[in-house]
Amino acid sequence: MEIVVCVRPVPEAETRLRVRADGRALDPDGVKFVLAGYDESAVEQALLLKESVPGSRVHAVALGPAPRTEEVLRAAIALGADAATWVDAGPGVLDDPIATARALAEAIRGVPHDLVLCGKQSGDREAGLVGPALGELLGIPDFGSVVDLRFDPAAGRLTFRRSTEAGQERWETPLPCLIGLQQAWNDPRTAKLPAILRSRKAPIAKTAAAPGATPTAVGERFELPAPRAGAKMIEFSSPQDAAEKLVRLLREEAKVFP
Amino acid sequence: MTGPVLVLGEIAGDRVVPPTLEAIGVARSLADSPAHVVVLLAGARARVAAEALTGAVGGAVRVREDPTFDGAPVAAFAAVAAATADLVGARWIVVGGTTFGRDVTGRLAARWNALAANGVTEATRDGDALRVRRPVFGGRATETLRLAGEHAVVSLRPHAFPPAAGTAGAALIEAAPPVEIPPTLLAPRRTAVEPVATGRGPGLTDASIVVSGGRGLRAPENFRLVEELAESLGAAVGASRAVTDAGWRPASLQVGQTGRAVSPQLYFAVGISGAIQHLVGMVSSRVIVAINSDGSAPIFKVADYGIVGDLFQIVPALTAEVRRVRGA
Repeated sequence: MEIVVCVRPVPEAETRLRVRADGRALDPDGVKFVLAGYDESAVEQALLLKESVPGSRVHAVALGPAPRTEEVLRAAIALGADAATWVDAGPGVLDDPIATARALAEAIRGVPHDLVLCGKQSGDREAGLVGPALGELLGIPDFGSVVDLRFDPAAGRLTFRRSTEAGQERWETPLPCLIGLQQAWNDPRTAKLPAILRSRKAPIAKTAAAPGATPTAVGERFELPAPRAGAKMIEFSSPQDAAEKLVRLLREEAKVFP
Repeated sequence: MTGPVLVLGEIAGDRVVPPTLEAIGVARSLADSPAHVVVLLAGARARVAAEALTGAVGGAVRVREDPTFDGAPVAAFAAVAAATADLVGARWIVVGGTTFGRDVTGRLAARWNALAANGVTEATRDGDALRVRRPVFGGRATETLRLAGEHAVVSLRPHAFPPAAGTAGAALIEAAPPVEIPPTLLAPRRTAVEPVATGRGPGLTDASIVVSGGRGLRAPENFRLVEELAESLGAAVGASRAVTDAGWRPASLQVGQTGRAVSPQLYFAVGISGAIQHLVGMVSSRVIVAINSDGSAPIFKVADYGIVGDLFQIVPALTAEVRRVRGA
């Protein structure tokens, strides 16, 4: 099976967020970008499938500027991806999920793809648009919030579970299709040092994103919440007193008590 | 004048789901008049659900009464949605905050090369464009986007808007345009749905109140304190990673970076210290209550109300007080 996994460099979880001088976006200066979150689950799932279906290959595809995009692709290779494609694109495309999907679709059309995996949303903007948009552009069905999947080579069908508001849904589908991963409940693997060293020399195919016809999303403001004042601490004389005071505050002050 | 606003509805049983009512409310606030709201429903029970809905919708409910759409991929629905938008001249599409909503938004945006946003907490008109606000980075920041262009597609953040209330008119029920769905988009099928394993309460991401427990509960059998408080409130139960990693409760209950992100009206953190990994999953809750024995725990920095004390005494007292006040 030919598996394509899309990954996006996102700021490390511990990053201290700062607003760019124009107030419209995150200030990327000094931010360390990594392969993380749902994308990490997508890579893990791609590798699990590769291991369970003999003859499979995993092709990692990422869009964005240098050097962060190349770095996340090398991270995917170190974890076990067989090939990598870097779609070189600047912030204009990167900040617009539909333009991103267009550029990725163009790259993916040029390589074999039975199954396309993505994180269900990125760890930064959390747009959750690239996966479904990519499905639409490739003309294949897409499924978000998937928690695990299996491939039955004899039947040529994929079965998976997804976690939605209705509960745990079970699905069955032929290929090709696109899957947006919720997360692997098991911890994704970490790369071993020799593989990391090898990944530094691995070839990465590079393509330039064609200028899209898409209107660019206008980010008007990017804001950090005012620091919370900290909790109003409830002084109490007994557990009952604490309970009564809290319920009264939730009711009369916060107005959220059911 | 923006033309009709189209709401893409979702059905459970014989009714639309609550997130669809939230979307109808937003569409009413964006449309030129109540008569400019159109809802699309597809599925075997589409007409029954439409009949229950007509008062909340001033324009029309378009139905595709077709069992094929129950348990079909969102791609199939998106094809009908696009044709319906063309037919009624809708430029703006609003969908509830569900998995379905997020997926259909991306598909339509790609089809139209349009601007789109998922999980919006505000949506207002700005002349010919739609301005939306949405949390990003796990609720650690907020972005404001201006969606201009021929079409704009948005899905809402769950619970960010009240459900449409009152009467907006009496919608006509009409057939959705007959669109042929390519077989490749109908080949995938949903084979089963197992209700969420959160016991009797509402689902974690759906709930307007969530009660989560952490390591401070000390042993799996003590987790029932959290469950009893949740039950008294009609809340969903959540857990910190420490609890799910230890196997006290299933991983599906985990709130946090590696679990679910929730944004209820009211969030209780019981015996949870507030590691960043947990905070990113709940910090966008409207009101946060923390109960912890350690007054220096980071959870109190993000909480609105804090009780420093022995949770083994406080939580049962709180459960009793909630039952008393709610008359249960």
